[in-house]
Amino acid sequence: MRDQTVGEVAARRHLEARLLEVFARWGYREVATPTLEYLDTLVHGAGPGIGDRLMKLVDSGGEVLTLRPEMTVPLARFAATRLLPAGPQPWRLAYIAGVFRGQDRGSGRLREFTQAGIELIGDGGLHADAEVIALAAECMHAAQVSGAVISVGHAGYLRGILATLPETVAEPARDLLYRRAFADLSGLLPAGRALDALRMLPTLRGPDSLQRARPLATTAESRHALDALAAVLDAVSAYGQPVRIDVDLGLIRDFEYYSGTVFEAHGPRASMPLLGGGRYDGLLARFGHRAPATGFAIGLEPVLEAAATPGHARKTAALRYAPDAYRKAVRVAARLRDAGMAVVVLPEGVEAGESACTIAVTARELVVWFEDRQTPTTVDDVVDAVQAVLEASG
Amino acid sequence: MNSLSIAIPTGRLLEDATALLRQMGLPMDRFDEDRRLLVALPGSVRVLKAKPTDLLTYVEQGAADIGITGRDMVLEQRRDVYELLDLGFGVCRAVLAFPEERASELWQPGRALRIATKYPRLTMRYFEQQARTVEVIVLYGSVELAPLVGLADGIVDLVMTGQTLKENHLREVAEIAQSSARLVVNRGSLSRSARVAEFVADLEAYLARQERGVHA
Repeated sequence: MRDQTVGEVAARRHLEARLLEVFARWGYREVATPTLEYLDTLVHGAGPGIGDRLMKLVDSGGEVLTLRPEMTVPLARFAATRLLPAGPQPWRLAYIAGVFRGQDRGSGRLREFTQAGIELIGDGGLHADAEVIALAAECMHAAQVSGAVISVGHAGYLRGILATLPETVAEPARDLLYRRAFADLSGLLPAGRALDALRMLPTLRGPDSLQRARPLATTAESRHALDALAAVLDAVSAYGQPVRIDVDLGLIRDFEYYSGTVFEAHGPRASMPLLGGGRYDGLLARFGHRAPATGFAIGLEPVLEAAATPGHARKTAALRYAPDAYRKAVRVAARLRDAGMAVVVLPEGVEAGESACTIAVTARELVVWFEDRQTPTTVDDVVDAVQAVLEASG
Repeated sequence: MNSLSIAIPTGRLLEDATALLRQMGLPMDRFDEDRRLLVALPGSVRVLKAKPTDLLTYVEQGAADIGITGRDMVLEQRRDVYELLDLGFGVCRAVLAFPEERASELWQPGRALRIATKYPRLTMRYFEQQARTVEVIVLYGSVELAPLVGLADGIVDLVMTGQTLKENHLREVAEIAQSSARLVVNRGSLSRSARVAEFVADLEAYLARQERGVHA
């Protein structure tokens, strides 16, 4: 939990505006869902494992509510129950929302953070996967993150390998992989092709990794995943690439609802992903309406840290009035505000706080002060005079 | 060139961890014996010494790309890092133990127990799996003392030989986890740094050669 200063909020709002503009230009329209969701809804969508990571509360009727930990499940619920039954597909949805996780205190991880993201619901084609990855790249570009890399993998590759194992070990193996505990696999699985393939996962990254993965893909599902991934990357390349895009077959996302292409972006320094997403074709059916879907969420806090683009809080002019000039001062302030400037009005002798310039108003005079310079002006010209000073103060 | 930072833990794993890095060609000098916390080595490599309980924080947050830590810490802290290799040293077990003369009486189903440990989450998870009730008392050292003075009924702690348990008249009733030293890697480092991937591959190849050597 942390407070945000004027400058931090300005930088965040600036980033939000840029991202919403990019989303809008690609046809994604903003929606909103409640901050609170029923625990059952989230567990139904994201699996029981999510329960440990939630902030929970109990309402007056004894229902367990949670602060939403992400937006994909709430939007899947929304789309499956409200949008898809009513209208034609596909839906292109966008959001900016505060999300909450039950992190350990002192772990250095935030419990409340902001995500901006999109979901493309009702289109199962590879062109849709490509569109979403290209849009993610465009967002990293718009956010001015230099040196970001988007890693792309496919959940079907891993699923295909696990399918060759008896269910008694496939399930614990999946748990180990979700915890990224590769070192424990050899204690669980017998020596063989499946173990070799799983142990190789973290190394299957880079341009030649699709070729290297091919001989390890012993099932149709794994081979199909590699073909699909190659096709998606080819389609993404048509967009031109404002940021680097890499294959990473070891990419395992935190939520178990992912079914196909998955991806994450990392910056040159940040340890947490800047964004993450992928295809989740089975999720909407859990809420009663079968539909393919894909999307991603950008973490605004890590992006702001990586981008370090300063936000511009608007400069404020302090308008000080003499005892006999109150009405005149209020009139002048209204003109400046109409022209889009930020003005605070206060009597002479009262502290103004942080301000870019001072305007002194008496019954007879109107003077704009900037540092030690003074510019006499009139009520009619005050807008131009203040504008000139604010621009000069850079 | 990319830099590479490696965190090694103070305490029982320090000597073996330093020796392993030396085997990997890093001029570690006398780093395990002196008091420096951070050394810069040629080739933009930094090695830092961290408390065992803090090591995963350094790696998870990206202050170190790579770390060496016990599996006990990985299981206890459940941090968001890659656990890639079993390094084979620092082998030990986390066990539940009670005072010898009362062990069978205490370890009865349905009995609520007070357990002293450095591993609260590991302990709670184990008791949950066993569907038993537990009250955990977190201590930071010499856990064996707690049952001797009535602070707790029993302990969950690491044992290597069992000697400490015996000396304090404690008897193991269950094994909770097996541990050995692990190589952990920051999530982002693995994606963005070819150097990290290279180091991991070299280390894996070295470990494979060692294993073949042992079996030969």
